[in-house]
Amino acid sequence: MSEELIQQTQKAIVAGDEEQAVEFTRRALKADLSAFSILQGGLMKGAEIVGDKFETGEYFLPRLMMTGRALKAAMEVIEPQLKEEYASGEAQQDDTGVVVLATVKSDIHDIGKNIVSSMLSASGFEVHDLGVDVPIKEIVKKAQEVDAEIIACSALLTTSMPFMRDLMNLLEVMGERDRFRVMVGGASVSEDFARDIGADGTADHALGAVKLARSFIRDLRSNQGAAQ
Amino acid sequence: MIIDYFDVLDRANQGPYIAEDDWDLEKVAMTTQKLVEKYKLEWDPDQIVTADPGLADVIFEAGLELAVEIGGYSRSTERILEFDRQELEAGMELMPRELVLGTGKDARTLFAREIGDERPPLIWAGNPGAPHPEHLFLPSVMSWAQEPIVDLITCGSLAEVDGREVRTGSPIEIVATRRELLYLRQILKRVGRPGMGMLAAQSSVSELGDLAVAHPDYLRPSDAHLVPMLNELKIDNRNIARAVNSLEYGMHNAALYCVLVGGLGGDAPGSAVVNVASFIIGNLTNHSDYQLLHPIHMRHVATSTRSVMWVESIVQQAFARNAPCIIVSDIYPKSGAMTRELLYETAANAIVITASGGHLEGVGSADGLKPNATGLECRLMGEVGRAVARQGLSLEEANEITVKLVERYEHVFEDPAGNPGVRFDQAYDLETLKPRKEWFRLYKEVKKELIEMGLTRLK
Repeated sequence: MSEELIQQTQKAIVAGDEEQAVEFTRRALKADLSAFSILQGGLMKGAEIVGDKFETGEYFLPRLMMTGRALKAAMEVIEPQLKEEYASGEAQQDDTGVVVLATVKSDIHDIGKNIVSSMLSASGFEVHDLGVDVPIKEIVKKAQEVDAEIIACSALLTTSMPFMRDLMNLLEVMGERDRFRVMVGGASVSEDFARDIGADGTADHALGAVKLARSFIRDLRSNQGAAQ
Repeated sequence: MIIDYFDVLDRANQGPYIAEDDWDLEKVAMTTQKLVEKYKLEWDPDQIVTADPGLADVIFEAGLELAVEIGGYSRSTERILEFDRQELEAGMELMPRELVLGTGKDARTLFAREIGDERPPLIWAGNPGAPHPEHLFLPSVMSWAQEPIVDLITCGSLAEVDGREVRTGSPIEIVATRRELLYLRQILKRVGRPGMGMLAAQSSVSELGDLAVAHPDYLRPSDAHLVPMLNELKIDNRNIARAVNSLEYGMHNAALYCVLVGGLGGDAPGSAVVNVASFIIGNLTNHSDYQLLHPIHMRHVATSTRSVMWVESIVQQAFARNAPCIIVSDIYPKSGAMTRELLYETAANAIVITASGGHLEGVGSADGLKPNATGLECRLMGEVGRAVARQGLSLEEANEITVKLVERYEHVFEDPAGNPGVRFDQAYDLETLKPRKEWFRLYKEVKKELIEMGLTRLK
């Protein structure tokens, strides 16, 4: 029964069916399944399937967005119990965290940023998507406010990319550089550019961005562990 | 009823509110999916140039239905711009069928081409949007402007002026765009065609540079500039400002539609439906004088993928049959200068567009991301387009050659590094402005292959 409920949750996420995802998640909780097992076996697994199929071209953007919405709704259902499980040590923190994401000032392109946003959300990250044409001060302010671990910036236009350099400079002068991992992306953003401005990394597709974000979180947590 | 810009602004201010995320998913994606299912729209990757008039008609009908059902979206006001079917149809009736670009003996007349039209397409050479260091801008554009086959020119953008980087929204955008136009006017004189028409003001992403060059010393009333529609079916006041500015000045509005194939419309058929709807809505909101068709592959960017070329072909056919208008189609191959694949991709794109009823614009080599474009692929684009028209290539024949070409370059999409080739100055001699020997040899070889594949009228 419990395995069946997990499977149904997973299927609802794959289908991008928000109502069903919430319904099966509730049922799974009522059946005394741990929030962590629902998260890992149902929600995350379903999101992973959709992410993989999107990357191979089998699924298209609408499905990814619907899955993101279904996942977000289901996460709200399990969140209170999940927090308790983390606090009690019943469940281990995974490699997801808090991301502040934006297309930088002067650039109004949002599709690439939206895909990364959906993929990160669908992978369990708490994503604060600030939209497009966002001044760098606002990005930093939001990251401080929500205690983000990652700042992710997008720019399609080469003439908007200099604002990414400004972001790195601002973090330096504010003494906040070490607080955040910074990833940059967009059609013209290369590894060389990312390195040149002092960002922590870039990825050339959405799945790569998720992998990079996970590696940042693991890195941050292992640093915190070592410090303790 | 004629929709003027006051109507557009009023509707953008007074239409129903909807959050942008909901517009994307609930309006564009869901409605398109519903229409794809309703009309049972499918595509075959081996039928890139579809010889199915019924399919073209039904794609048109679905696109019109999408436009009627959801309208357009103003990102500035977060409101829906609603139009009824009668308004949209009346707008299409008024779409120009002929448009003169340029002046004097260098002027050319764009016209609404038909499917299999034996009148050759106009050749609009250049790589809009590709960033260039200042020292390479003039020789790059010269390399295609000097080609006799070229009818009209366009260009990449200046990424720097006087050693300073150009930033969107900064005053340097004004300087860069004016500098771009000064170079272009100089180039036209140097190639002996001072009246040749242009699509320019590419160095300014914001409206700043665009507005700053609306002057006879820079962009003339006989030239064109871009008025883009945002993905998908969206406009904003900054882009409407470009269109409005040119109304009194007289510049021609090139409404640019970069529908993402694999994006909100889903697979190719849905993306074609979104593209048709974009033309219909943008005709009114962007005050377009002609339609600039530039679908983009969600993953590979290039216009030379099977699905993007299918969309280019079916959208052109849909309008040629149902609402004739001037369509100029962009060619942005994955590959860059000095690669054989660039020439294959250019030829395939040119065949598809010409046979399906479009004019040719390009070549935005290396996805238009690098200054890796030259005049030689523009020459090939023009020669192929003219050969297709001269030969009266049928849609079936066009498909046969296109599929053969795709098989020769499709591997480039699997390479994570792409196939960017080399920068302009490594492919051309900067003193003589002639292609380097190796580059010219590749061009000659590919032309021979094209003739053997069935493009027999290629000269």
